[in-house]
Amino acid sequence: MALRVLFIFLFILSGRLEAAPAADLDEQTRALAAELRCVVCQNLSVADSPSEMAQQMRASVREQLQAGKSPQEVKDYFVSKYGEWVLLAPTDAGFNRLLWWLPITVLILGIITALWFVHRWTAKKSQPAAPEIEPAVAAQLRSEIYLKELEEPALEDSGPRAQLLRERLRLKNELDELEFDFQSGKLSESDHGDLRRDVEGRAALVFQELNALPPPAKIKEPAQEPPARAAKKPVPENRTRFRRWQLAAGGAFLLLFGLALGILLTQSLRPRTSEQDTLTGDFLTGTSAAKSDIRSALDEGKRAFANQELPKAIDAFKKVLAIEPNQPEAHSYMGFILVQAGHADGALLAFDKALAQAPNFPMALWGKAMILYRGKKDYAGARPILEKLLQLIPPGEDRQEIENILASLPGSGSSGQGASSPRSSIAAISGQSISGKITLDAKVKGQANTQATLFIIARPAGAVGGPPLAVKKIDRAVFPLSYSISSENVMMQGTPFTGKINLTVRLDKDGNPATRAPGDLVGDYKNNPVDVGAKNIDIVIDRAL
Amino acid sequence: MPWRRVVITLLIIAPILALLAFGFTRDARYITSPLLAKPATPFTITLFDGRTLNLEDLRGTAVFLNFWASWCPPCRSEARDLEAAWQKIKDKNVVFIGVALQDTDKASLEFLKEFGVTYPNGRDESGKIAIDYGVWGIPESFFIDPQGRITYKHVGGIRAAMVTEKLGEALQGVVSVKEGKGEFQSVR
Repeated sequence: MALRVLFIFLFILSGRLEAAPAADLDEQTRALAAELRCVVCQNLSVADSPSEMAQQMRASVREQLQAGKSPQEVKDYFVSKYGEWVLLAPTDAGFNRLLWWLPITVLILGIITALWFVHRWTAKKSQPAAPEIEPAVAAQLRSEIYLKELEEPALEDSGPRAQLLRERLRLKNELDELEFDFQSGKLSESDHGDLRRDVEGRAALVFQELNALPPPAKIKEPAQEPPARAAKKPVPENRTRFRRWQLAAGGAFLLLFGLALGILLTQSLRPRTSEQDTLTGDFLTGTSAAKSDIRSALDEGKRAFANQELPKAIDAFKKVLAIEPNQPEAHSYMGFILVQAGHADGALLAFDKALAQAPNFPMALWGKAMILYRGKKDYAGARPILEKLLQLIPPGEDRQEIENILASLPGSGSSGQGASSPRSSIAAISGQSISGKITLDAKVKGQANTQATLFIIARPAGAVGGPPLAVKKIDRAVFPLSYSISSENVMMQGTPFTGKINLTVRLDKDGNPATRAPGDLVGDYKNNPVDVGAKNIDIVIDRAL
Repeated sequence: MPWRRVVITLLIIAPILALLAFGFTRDARYITSPLLAKPATPFTITLFDGRTLNLEDLRGTAVFLNFWASWCPPCRSEARDLEAAWQKIKDKNVVFIGVALQDTDKASLEFLKEFGVTYPNGRDESGKIAIDYGVWGIPESFFIDPQGRITYKHVGGIRAAMVTEKLGEALQGVVSVKEGKGEFQSVR
């Protein structure tokens, strides 16, 4: 039994002895990885990032530590590959030293400045009360100290009287400055009162000492002046002008600084639109402010498109194109919106614009290929585009769909109808359609509501009452409007869109297809009925209900 | 005295503003490589056809080293260009090496087959080669001169014309002043 216990104890001990270095190594790896920046993330350390790259970097750290390298050597290795960027904490050397010491220096200077101000303030408060001034001296003080001209001693005179006269002049200047500071709002009333009393007290002492001295041979008695008037005596003209200039310059600088700060901040900060996005967008990375506007407008447009809020999407993409007329993504989305609205040719133009700017832009390639393939049955035109797209799309569902379409294509140049109809995110444009243009007659133009919904209604010729065969809805239509109505728009899925059709359109104010309200504008095709497949079926909206 | 105050205030504010302005011009995410003109780290890679390739054995030859992944759109975009460039200059004193990273063997082989890539390719399973070359965005391409120095680095998709031009420079031992940047990169 004792032997067994001993064996178990030794077994546990040996396990611990083996585990200890491994735990140390893990801890060392984690600590070191926490000091390294993940090269494919934003502000994440290698220790915290879940990315594959960070995992490989962690493994590399561990491997190097295991091989006996010191943590510093491992860090040096990563710095040699990625530069100092890879260190989350920059080294305390060279220019980087500024990063480390500037904040501390500024903090210390700030504390010293604050302490100095506090000291000055408390010293001012704790100054002993000014000595009581004798009434006679006070009167003399008020009458003399605020006068323009005070007796100035001769430069070479260093006698006690000359020294007192100099001190008196100095105190007078001090009082002048106090007065100016008070009048310009730099001093509060209580501070001004305290300081003034203090200076006047010292001036009174000087006066008393001067009075105690034997009178000089020639003493120029200054004229009496009312104290109230004297108190308002302006500071010298040149000094006032200079201080005004100082204030103006300071104000202008503050204004400019505030404006610059305001502009920079408003342009650089914005809400994050995705996890990959930064708070500052591209502004801090050197790209123009318009780029961030483009990105936010694009995101807004995409969201609106996904929610099928097409007018909102159009506005957003138009905004993008106003900033960057060749933005391929905005052109592509406009293309898709035009497809939905039945403007195949307009959509093709939009996709072509996108491709002119970015020949390999998958979205535009896809849109163009779908129009050619489904709308125009131009298989020869669609094939090279789809093949190009195939090179760009990684394996997956989308790629499979392209391959299916390519496989279903009849031979190049063929315009047969044998193609299957694969799944697509783009609204299909059937060949069995009626297309043309809808315009507003001049006499109803003034009554047209820009927010109204346009309904293009197709009824079988000869049908009386009952639901229409097909209806197409277009929000906020802009006239003249190219339209196309096809089997995609039939009310009952599977109903063939064939034969002779009566076409009418209604610009409906409330957007409800089931109601016809006064004020709605309507128009019929003048040569109803028309054959399905007919083109250039132009309809004029010419009357109000 | 007031002038002195203005000057001191400006002396304090100006460097802070200059520092801010400098910060606005920097791309905080871009990692500038310290490897230009430095010796290329030697590595050995097992190619997809089973052979082993050692960079050291290629001294005296200009090497085009491309890091790619099958899931990366810009890699797909540049693949045919790289093969075209290889076909154009393979008879000169150059070698192309493709290194797949963060990828599986199956996907990598399908990629090579799809784009008809004929130059040597292998997979960097542990990511060690990629880290040795400071790779952070895929694709990344390195040009190594016959003496084994890195003469140019390109982050993002690269076109055939650039490959041939930079290989020409590498053959002459010309080191580019700074690295190049493609339109876009993928990271994982």
